Amino acid sequence: MRNDLELDAIIEDYLLGKLNAEEKEAFEQLRRNDATVDHKVVSHKFFLQSMEEFAVQLRLKEKLNSIHDEIDVETLAADLRPHPSKVVQLWRKHKSAIAVAASFLVLSLVSIYSIQHNSKQEDRYEQVSRELSKVKKSQNSLIRTIQSNNSSAAAKNVNPGNFGGTGFAVSTNGYILTNLHVVNGADSLYVQNNKGESFKVKAVYTDSQNDIAILKISDKNFNHLSTIPYTIKKSISGLGESVYTLGYPKDDIVLGEGSVSSRTGFVGDTTQYQVSILVNPGNSGGPLLDNNGNLVGIISGKQDQTEGAAFAIKSKYILEAMRAIPQDSLGDNRLSANKRSLLSGMKRTKQIEKLQDYVFMIKVYN
Amino acid sequence: MNNSLKSSVPTDREVILGILNNSEDTLNKLYKGYFAMILQFILNNNGDEDDAKDVYQEAIIILYNKVKEGNFELSSKLKTYIYSVCRRIWLKKLTQNSKKTGNINDYEDVFAVEEDVEDHEEKDLQFVKMQSALSHLGEPCKTIIQDFYIHNLSMQDICEKFGYTNTDNAKTQKYKCLQRLKKIFFQP
Repeated sequence: MRNDLELDAIIEDYLLGKLNAEEKEAFEQLRRNDATVDHKVVSHKFFLQSMEEFAVQLRLKEKLNSIHDEIDVETLAADLRPHPSKVVQLWRKHKSAIAVAASFLVLSLVSIYSIQHNSKQEDRYEQVSRELSKVKKSQNSLIRTIQSNNSSAAAKNVNPGNFGGTGFAVSTNGYILTNLHVVNGADSLYVQNNKGESFKVKAVYTDSQNDIAILKISDKNFNHLSTIPYTIKKSISGLGESVYTLGYPKDDIVLGEGSVSSRTGFVGDTTQYQVSILVNPGNSGGPLLDNNGNLVGIISGKQDQTEGAAFAIKSKYILEAMRAIPQDSLGDNRLSANKRSLLSGMKRTKQIEKLQDYVFMIKVYN
Repeated sequence: MNNSLKSSVPTDREVILGILNNSEDTLNKLYKGYFAMILQFILNNNGDEDDAKDVYQEAIIILYNKVKEGNFELSSKLKTYIYSVCRRIWLKKLTQNSKKTGNINDYEDVFAVEEDVEDHEEKDLQFVKMQSALSHLGEPCKTIIQDFYIHNLSMQDICEKFGYTNTDNAKTQKYKCLQRLKKIFFQP
């Protein structure tokens, strides 16, 4: 027994590395020679290991217990215990699912709202478009309905006529350009210059797509005009370019001034400009000129509900229309895009003085 | 309370590093961080506060040992790992007590931790064996052994504590106790 105890002590010291080199050597010798000693060493080693692990475990448990004691378990338990109310239980169990469902609900509400909002906009757009179509219908063709004060005397009137518009010369030998809607459906057509002389004309070319008509003076009394002072502007006019027009909304020539306010016309019509010129019935077919006397367009209409929005057909369609006429019949002295405008550099008043001989009142009888 | 506990939960990396560095603070935060989750789980699955404590501590120990062994790979969130381990342990306990296990009320995601739990149970058997061996030892042997091997007291301290006349006597007593303990421990 005594020996066993001593052996145990030596084994433990050996395993813990407490023996000195000499003792260690001796013990290892003993261990090699005696199988029982060796067995004891192994088993003790295992035991010590188990003990060590056990100790570690116990120490950890103690630590955990002391931490556990810091937690107010009762309050926590009361909080987390299955709640008598089913609703609360359900809430706790499916907290995340409910959160997802709620956010989904919010999202769908938002999207529904936005869809409704969108459809509202669509409604409004429809309304607008209806308004637009109304406007379209009521877009005034600026033909002056000449009021015959005494219908009985109308026939004898010096300037009888049911409708009126404006036109301008495109050649010196009596070709005059105006809007198709001015002359459309006319029985007979006359033009009157600013001196009050009337000439019979007939339509030689009409372009319903661009609302352009070219008339030819067929009157013997008509003397050729002198050189046409204006030219056709080939480039597109920029916004804000100041422009003016001459026309016959009444029996005397009237000047209208403004500027190009949009590169497109009525409902985005790209063949037209929008100009901020106050035009009146009778202005249709009038020339639209810039400061240098270049022909920018032809006044053709205005928007009903909007003040100061008139439309002018772009000048390049004038050229197109002129090309449709036999070229030699237009004569040499015709409107072109290549010459320099004679009006360029002149004062506005001088320009108008020159221009007014080339702007005609169109008188329509039907 | 709940909130204050949750707010101090360390990140998963902090926990791993803390355990490897024997940081008491990390262990404290870790323990307090997820206890409420497990308490809720146990309370809502036929358990009480003590069950929660046991199960939770076991899970923490499993995690702790696994990290210490150096083969812990964080394949999921620590929270999920702890929850899964606790769930596994608690399910086993429920089946052992043949309580109803029909439908476990889950509060978190779960992933497979059977291996870890079983490894731990194997080891735990050794600890149970040691524990029972110690309890069969009787006083003062039990305390001497515990003081020396578990609380790491020196023979000098033990000598003074138990009033032995010299350390040799104490040593002899200790070896006697150890012999008996080994006998009990190695009993098949």
